[in-house]
Amino acid sequence: MSDNRTPLDPSAQRLEPASGLASYPPVEKWDDWVEYDTAQWPRKVEKHCRIIPTICFNCEAGCGLLAFVEKETHRIRRFEGNPEHPGSRGRNCAKGPATLNQVTDPERIRYPLKRVGSRGEGKWQRVSWDEVLDDLGGRIRKALQEDRRNEIMYHVGRPGHELLYHQRILHSWGIDGHNSHTNVCSAGARAGYAFWSGIDRPSPDHAHARFILLLSSHLEAGHYFNPHAQRIIEGKERGAKICVIDTRLSNTASKADYWISSWPGSEAAILLAMCNVLLQEDLFDRQFVRQWVNWEEYLREEHSNMPQTFRSFVQILKDTYAQYTPEFAAKEAGIEPDVIVEVARQIADAGSAFSSHVWRNTAAGNLGGWQVARALQLLGVLAGAVGSVGGTAPNAANKYIPAPPLMPPPAKVWNELLIPREYPLAFFEMSYLLPHFLKEGRGKLAMYFTRVYNPVWTNPDGMSWIEMLCDETRVERHACLTPTWSETAWFADYVLPMGHASERHDLMSQETQAARWIGFRQPILRVALEKEGKKFNTTYEAHEAAGIGEVWEEDEFWIELSWRVDPDGALGIRKYFESPYEPGAKMTVDDYYRWIFENSVPGLPEAAAKQGVKPLEYMRKYGAFLIEDNVYKVHETGLKSSDLADATINPNTKIIQKNGATIGVEIDGNACVGFPTPSRKLEFFSRTLKEWRWPEHAIPGYIKSHVHPEQIDLAAGEMLLLPTFRLPTLIHTRSGNAKWLYEISHRNPLWLNSKDAENFDVKTGDLLKVHTEIGYFIDKVWVTEGIKPGVIACSHHLGRWRLAEDQGGERWSTALVDLKQTGEGKWMMRTIHGIKPFKSGDPDSERIFWEDGGVHQNLTFPVQPDYISGQHCWHQKVRITKPGPEDRYGDVFVDTNKSHEVYKKWLLKTRPAPGPDNLRRPYWLPRSYKPALEAYYLSKKDQG
Amino acid sequence: MRYGFVIDQDRCIGCHACTVACKEEHNIAVGVNRTWVKYIEKGHYPDTRRHFAVLRCNHCDDAPCIEICPTVALFRRRDGIVDFDNERCIGCKSCMQACPYDALYIDPDRNTAAKCNFDASRVEMGYKPACEVVCPTQAILSGDLDDPNSLVSKRIALEKVSVRKPEKGTKPKLFYVGVDGDLLTPTMMEPQSSHFWAEKDPGEDLYALKSTPPDRPIPGVAREVYDVPHMVPWGKKIAFYLWTKSIAAGVLLLSVLFLNLGFEQDTVLLGLISPVVSLVFLAATMALLIFDLRKPGRFFFLMTKPNFNSWLVLGGYVLMIFAALLVVWFYQMYGTGRLSPWVMWPAALFAIASAGYSAFLFAQARGRDFWQSPMLFWHLIVKAISAGAAVLILIGSLELLTPYQFISPQLFFWLFHILLVSLLAGLALVFGDLFIKHGTEDAVRSSELLLKGRLWKSFWILAVGLGVAVPAILIFLPLGSLLPNVAAAVLALFGLWFYEHLWIKAGQAVPLS
Repeated sequence: MSDNRTPLDPSAQRLEPASGLASYPPVEKWDDWVEYDTAQWPRKVEKHCRIIPTICFNCEAGCGLLAFVEKETHRIRRFEGNPEHPGSRGRNCAKGPATLNQVTDPERIRYPLKRVGSRGEGKWQRVSWDEVLDDLGGRIRKALQEDRRNEIMYHVGRPGHELLYHQRILHSWGIDGHNSHTNVCSAGARAGYAFWSGIDRPSPDHAHARFILLLSSHLEAGHYFNPHAQRIIEGKERGAKICVIDTRLSNTASKADYWISSWPGSEAAILLAMCNVLLQEDLFDRQFVRQWVNWEEYLREEHSNMPQTFRSFVQILKDTYAQYTPEFAAKEAGIEPDVIVEVARQIADAGSAFSSHVWRNTAAGNLGGWQVARALQLLGVLAGAVGSVGGTAPNAANKYIPAPPLMPPPAKVWNELLIPREYPLAFFEMSYLLPHFLKEGRGKLAMYFTRVYNPVWTNPDGMSWIEMLCDETRVERHACLTPTWSETAWFADYVLPMGHASERHDLMSQETQAARWIGFRQPILRVALEKEGKKFNTTYEAHEAAGIGEVWEEDEFWIELSWRVDPDGALGIRKYFESPYEPGAKMTVDDYYRWIFENSVPGLPEAAAKQGVKPLEYMRKYGAFLIEDNVYKVHETGLKSSDLADATINPNTKIIQKNGATIGVEIDGNACVGFPTPSRKLEFFSRTLKEWRWPEHAIPGYIKSHVHPEQIDLAAGEMLLLPTFRLPTLIHTRSGNAKWLYEISHRNPLWLNSKDAENFDVKTGDLLKVHTEIGYFIDKVWVTEGIKPGVIACSHHLGRWRLAEDQGGERWSTALVDLKQTGEGKWMMRTIHGIKPFKSGDPDSERIFWEDGGVHQNLTFPVQPDYISGQHCWHQKVRITKPGPEDRYGDVFVDTNKSHEVYKKWLLKTRPAPGPDNLRRPYWLPRSYKPALEAYYLSKKDQG
Repeated sequence: MRYGFVIDQDRCIGCHACTVACKEEHNIAVGVNRTWVKYIEKGHYPDTRRHFAVLRCNHCDDAPCIEICPTVALFRRRDGIVDFDNERCIGCKSCMQACPYDALYIDPDRNTAAKCNFDASRVEMGYKPACEVVCPTQAILSGDLDDPNSLVSKRIALEKVSVRKPEKGTKPKLFYVGVDGDLLTPTMMEPQSSHFWAEKDPGEDLYALKSTPPDRPIPGVAREVYDVPHMVPWGKKIAFYLWTKSIAAGVLLLSVLFLNLGFEQDTVLLGLISPVVSLVFLAATMALLIFDLRKPGRFFFLMTKPNFNSWLVLGGYVLMIFAALLVVWFYQMYGTGRLSPWVMWPAALFAIASAGYSAFLFAQARGRDFWQSPMLFWHLIVKAISAGAAVLILIGSLELLTPYQFISPQLFFWLFHILLVSLLAGLALVFGDLFIKHGTEDAVRSSELLLKGRLWKSFWILAVGLGVAVPAILIFLPLGSLLPNVAAAVLALFGLWFYEHLWIKAGQAVPLS
């Protein structure tokens, strides 16, 4: 890491001329970097800056940023990539540099706000952080004292503080209170991957792949866009072929060798047909399958009458998947069969260097979408491409979670508002059903935190969220922790400004490549001021001193709040928030990270010592640390002989146990750690699914989607609405404050194939009315060849709104709307005016040239939970009509009575807990903020 | 040392990171860009793809923007970078017309021109441009084209590269790898009425033959699906400037002609009134020029920081000398009643120069093919004669309103005939220009815009019909009264202005990028 004039990545070094211009300022100069002021160029006016690393906060990838802080003014001049960051390697997408807009947004919330009128009325007053903490702390304390533990809920969209930080908080409070956005996002893929390997995310090694199969758009979006895009293109340069399966023509599909435009939901059939080709043509990796697939368990459980040999397993496999002919899949998908065969053979050629990825896309759109991930994994398993060079590993191999100081034991409660009995296998919390749970009287919330979470806008059925949030008997206190205004913040009691990328501490680690790294986000202005000798007790004081208001960071907020919840230590909470270095003193953020960097990150103390600095200083200086590079085949890691002493090996299953815990599995006589599944192998056959009453889905298969062509009568004006795609420039509802991103992209028209446009007799710019089961919205048409006939597509990134002219939403990105109830549960939204120029401290706000901010479609979607994964099935069967004379662009109508009916309809399809042993959920299955085992059992009382 | 870019569109993923990093580096205002990414789509479902191109300044070795820039605000550094100094820029926007690549814009904060400067402030310190550093896929590469060992030199040598509009002779130093050719040739792209995630100003598609995009994609034709907004640099002021200038020149030229043909009875008009009228229109010309500057207060930079290669500067001097000669003329005539040939002939010469130099200026606007007509000089002279005749007729017609007679009937007679002939000659030149396809597709598109495109009504009805045909008929018909002739002159003047307006508009209608 010493020579920082060259980026870390070898391929980048290859591109760097030996002599010539350098990419990055060398680390030695970071404390006093001199550059010419571009504003005064060509006059050479020097500016002195401090360069301080941090981590981008826009998407989840956690790319490195360097903040250039002008010494004279303490203004951040700009953000560039951090060459020390192993994932992003000094490069960023558009959202990295746009962080500057977010920091300097004239519209940003600078001080804690408290509601003064009724909820949603939009009257706010500035309050002190002390007042906020006292109120919230007191309520939480009271709830804990009265054992209303399940009435405290923390609901998070983008966490920021990943890696156990917040689990530590909630478990110290003894609650099961973490709710997330996962089920509107990745639950489908997670379930599919987890049933296979016990690990719910893939980590493809694109850079070394020979064939890359993407059911995603990683050259423009997704986890982890920039790091993955770098490596996909690297792989392509090295000769890898790329196939993209995506209904719409994404930028990614445009760069691919094969674009398979599938009917949404048919992807599992396509993938199984590819598996079938590999099987029938004997192109699969027999050795890998024999060693690492739980075929023995499968034969024992399902085919006990057959010879218990690998040969018979292979025959059963061939017979089972013979039904998935390329012709069958092609018919389901509306594509040509030849391409399936061709791609399958290329995958076989690539063998272990076959990388693949599905995260949202079809897995998040369709009923049974989780089987897509499972089918994709089967393809990877057959190719022998699991954890291999150029293959796809379970993400745990490429992520590092350092242990924090003073980890409390898991909470001993189970919150049924999170994972109710109907969804025992969900990944994870049934977050978007919360309004319906509360409506049904399943509970109430004394304290509800939303954290960079905007369910009113992002979730399906947002009007039900508004109804819930406005009901003070169901949600007694709502505090919104957010760097920006949002549609949800409008319905909070407190709007609490939290920092952007350069305004907070967080520890990150993401599986961006076959390596393990950590990244350190830090409050740049505080760090800069403290380097000059100033001292602050809190980050918000530092921010006030730096002129951006009392913007705070969560790390400190939660420590402070926990102290107020348990000021005297009587609840047993406070002890977790005392300094590990000074007993009895309040833990500081420095204490927390110092302890982690000194104790929990292998190699970091040594690397720091080599430079003569403490580990915390090292991380403050470099912002990232590469723990291990080239991590492959982690499942093959041998058990140490010390581990094996006193261990027993089950003669049938070859599972190695020690002191009652499974520690590995014996493969051909070698003791390996294996996978964190019950069989310690890759589970082609999921005993769990069988035992939890889904025997028909115990092996990878194809579930016909709720939007299968059989369900849609095209002749009657019905179509499939594909509402889930991102743009390379935006990130959900967090980038509305970035003017440089919004000037590039600001509208979300309906993509309509030219054939459909002809049928509907519309052209680009015309309006169409899209009817869902619970309402309708009206949007403009964009006629394109980039979408499948019969499918209408609309990006979910746009259509932001606000309810007041000058507050409640960034005016760069929101339309002013009128929202009214026209009857019980009947909501009508109409645009008063679109985005327009406004006066502010930033002259650019008067240069806004776009008026169209898009249409908010998610409001009109009923909840459609997959009955196994819990994934909201985003795709909608819709009816398309021409708008009437009263209809306007941007109109949205919703009937929440209908949405509750749809909720109940889908609920009927579930097969509720308990499972074996009276469990609420299989204990081995991943769950965030996993409670103690005892909480997993349904008590008699629960069942009564 | 000669810096240049290689942009590898095979690696480019169209993510706009370069666009935003550039905005951040230079704090560029909303609505304008130094680098941007254009998207097109081709083909029919499912055989369709989207393609991208990163567009920006080409740092041409023979940069037309430098040639035309009147105040040396644009300059080529010793390392080959084409840089600019906003402190010298007067905001004349001529660079935006000269650049065939649409690289320049007016910075709304400073009201001066700006463009990609290769991040010279970084290069000076030994660092790469921000766009190159940010690029996730390392699609942008900068380096020394003079160094055979630089990566850019090697890639240019080893790979199939292309440049934008090589026919312009600008010697661009931005080389594309793997780019779809249509992206580099704006007229190859079928404009769409909106972009897929951005709004678009419908006025931008003026040049398109159809007012709405076709319902079905045309096989083989690229559809433009994303682009940034583009400015139209010159508007009505420039059309007026051409018109007032033609009057100033034409009035004087005809005066010299008739003074020498012995129209002694018209000496007051030709010798005293003409130079005053000429001076008034010349002053208007200069005022229009100055007020069209985005930095009018800096107009004197033309004298203090001149670039003598720029016809903006040379033209400015021509106008000033012409004005000075007119003053001397008037002073001489008023004082002595006689005009020295040493004043008269130089004045005539500078009248011709004033009318005609714009042909050289517009020729320097190398971005606008439509203006590159070899007939332009003669056309300007003919139009000056029409304008001069029309104005002199109108002065003469004041006898309808006043008790004075300003013009002798003989002169009237001649002026009408000159107007008639010059209008028809002018029209012939216009038709020659528009019907005889001169050279390039861009020019053809501009011509077609007038002949049969979205401006056809304006062109045929107003410019040709009302501006030429009706006056010609009015003059030709023996109506025996002065009034129709006055109307003819007024219509002719209107037609002359309106054609300039259309000509300026059509020239800029074809997108440069």
